Amino acid sequence: MVFIFGINFPEQTLVKRSLETFYGIGPKVSRGIMARFHIFPWAKVGSLKNAQVLDLTAELSNMKIENDLRREVQDNIRRLKDMGTYRGRRHAMGLPVRGQRTRSQIKTARKLNKIERGGFGRA
Amino acid sequence: MWPTRALYARSVWKGPNIVPLPIVRPKPGEKVPPIRTQARSATILPSFVNLKFQVHDGKNYIDILITEDMVGHKLGEFALTRKNFTYKQTKNK
Repeated sequence: MVFIFGINFPEQTLVKRSLETFYGIGPKVSRGIMARFHIFPWAKVGSLKNAQVLDLTAELSNMKIENDLRREVQDNIRRLKDMGTYRGRRHAMGLPVRGQRTRSQIKTARKLNKIERGGFGRA
Repeated sequence: MWPTRALYARSVWKGPNIVPLPIVRPKPGEKVPPIRTQARSATILPSFVNLKFQVHDGKNYIDILITEDMVGHKLGEFALTRKNFTYKQTKNK
């Protein structure tokens, strides 16, 4: 078990996958972080040196991820809603915001577009 | 980097969409009627703050009080053009 940013990961997990469990880190950001600390893309968490783990944790604590990022996104949506814009209302209704058709295929909007976007805490 | 998302859709060299609106500065103790307009695409400028607008939604004019947050958005964003569907039962037939 290795602790990265206060979260426990099994040793056989890929570093890339473990980084991407954080809200706000996707393929591109994780690639950048790993390149900065000389970690191979297919490296497992167990193969990391102690210093590298500390480096990763320090890097993550400087980034805007997890709840800070969620709060920012939700604040932006709430600002639109409180102003009474069309975009804010579409978020509140769970419908497409940018003029997509609504006759069919709005599953993604139904799933994502809400005032409390991103949920709370780690899944 | 981007002052407003509205700029994504518009070339920066054009600047904001400034529409000549009949804006009257109220003298103290004087009431000004809301500014009635159909220019939904007009960008809200900082000078519009605390003014009342009546923006056309295709049928009626909708009252909007401009606040500081709204600067950079368009007037039309605050006047919805669509009405929710409600079923009305017909009597005859």
